[in-house]
Amino acid sequence: MTVLSIKNLNYSKHRKLILQGVCLDLEPGKIVALLGANGAGKTTLMRIISGQAKHWHGQVLVNGKQKDEERKACVSFTDQLSGFSNGMKIAQIADFYEQVFPDFDREEYRKLQQFMNLSPDARLRELSRGMKEKLIISLTFARQVPLYLLDEPFSGIDVMARKRIINSILLWKNEQATILLSDHFVNEIASVLDEVVIVKNQTVLVKQGADDIRAKGQSIEQYYEGFYQEDEND
Amino acid sequence: MEFKDNVPIYLQIEQRLIKQIVQGQLQAGDRLPSVRKLAVAETVNVNTVQRALRELNAQGFIYTKRGEGNFVTDDETLIEDTKAQLIQQALTEFLKEMGGLGLDHGAAQAALTDYLRKEEQDDSSQH
Repeated sequence: MTVLSIKNLNYSKHRKLILQGVCLDLEPGKIVALLGANGAGKTTLMRIISGQAKHWHGQVLVNGKQKDEERKACVSFTDQLSGFSNGMKIAQIADFYEQVFPDFDREEYRKLQQFMNLSPDARLRELSRGMKEKLIISLTFARQVPLYLLDEPFSGIDVMARKRIINSILLWKNEQATILLSDHFVNEIASVLDEVVIVKNQTVLVKQGADDIRAKGQSIEQYYEGFYQEDEND
Repeated sequence: MEFKDNVPIYLQIEQRLIKQIVQGQLQAGDRLPSVRKLAVAETVNVNTVQRALRELNAQGFIYTKRGEGNFVTDDETLIEDTKAQLIQQALTEFLKEMGGLGLDHGAAQAALTDYLRKEEQDDSSQH
C-alpha cells in the first residue's frame, strides 16, 4: 500500500524540461525529506502531486487516485499563501480554508494556532517570515488527509521557530499520515526523518532510509552532499 | 538531546534506555513515557522510537502490557549481565586509549593506580 506512487513523470514548461523520468513511491506513516539544490525541481514536483501544476505526462497516484480533483482531496499543500491579499487577517484566511476544504478541522486549527502563538487578528503583511511559515504549517496540518507537503518550511527562520515547527510535526502527525518536506539543507531536520529522497538533474535519483544511511557510518548530510560533490570537482 | 549523526538513531535511543535501566534511573516495573512523548523529548521520529522499543522488547529489557504501555523488566540477571558487559566495554575502551598513548597494560595499570592514589589524597586533604 502506497500513499504516493509516481511513475515516469515528465514535465516541461515553455519548452524547458523541468522534470524527467521521475519515479517515487511513499508508504503511509513516514516523514520524508525531499533534498536537492535550488532549481532541482522540488517545488514543481510538489505542485504536480497536489494537482496545481497541469500538463505533465506519466502517472501520479495519491492514495490510488489519479484525477486532479480526487488527488487534491488527499493532499494538503499550502503554496506560499500567494492567493491572499496582504491586508487579510489570519482569522479570515482560516475561514477561507474551512469553506474550501471539507476536511479542515477547526478545532485542530485552533490548537495549532495557539501552539504557534499566532494572533487571529494579525494581518498577513504584519507577519515575519517565521510567523508566515507557522501560519502555513497550521493551515496545512489542520486538514485531515493522508499526505502533507511542506515546501522548505525552515528556510530563513530562526532557531526557536524551527524548533516549534519540528515539534508540531511530531505532535500533530497522525500515525498513518505521510509528510514530504523539501529542503536544500538537511542538518536541522535529520533526526526526525524516516527517509530521504535525493533530487538532482530534473529527476529523483534515490530514496533511502535515514537509519540505513547511518548504519553505513555516514551522516545524512554526507550522504546528500555526496551526490552534489562531483559537480564541484568539475 | 544530541545524537551522533553517523550511528542509527534507534540504536542510540536503545542504548540510552539500557543505560538508564542499568544505572537504576529506570527501575523494575517503571512505566516508560508514551512513544510520542519520547519522540518529542528527543526530537526524533515516532517510528524511530518504536523501533528502539521493539528491540528492547525482543531483548527482554522491557515488556508491553496491552493498552497500558511499556514497563521495565524485573529480570535482575539480565540487568546484572548487561552491567558486566558495559563495564567490560568501558575498560576495553580505556585500554585502547592508553595503548594509543603508548602505554601497555602494565603501564596503564600503574597510571591508574597512581591516579587513584592522588584522587584519594586530594579527597582527604579537602575534608
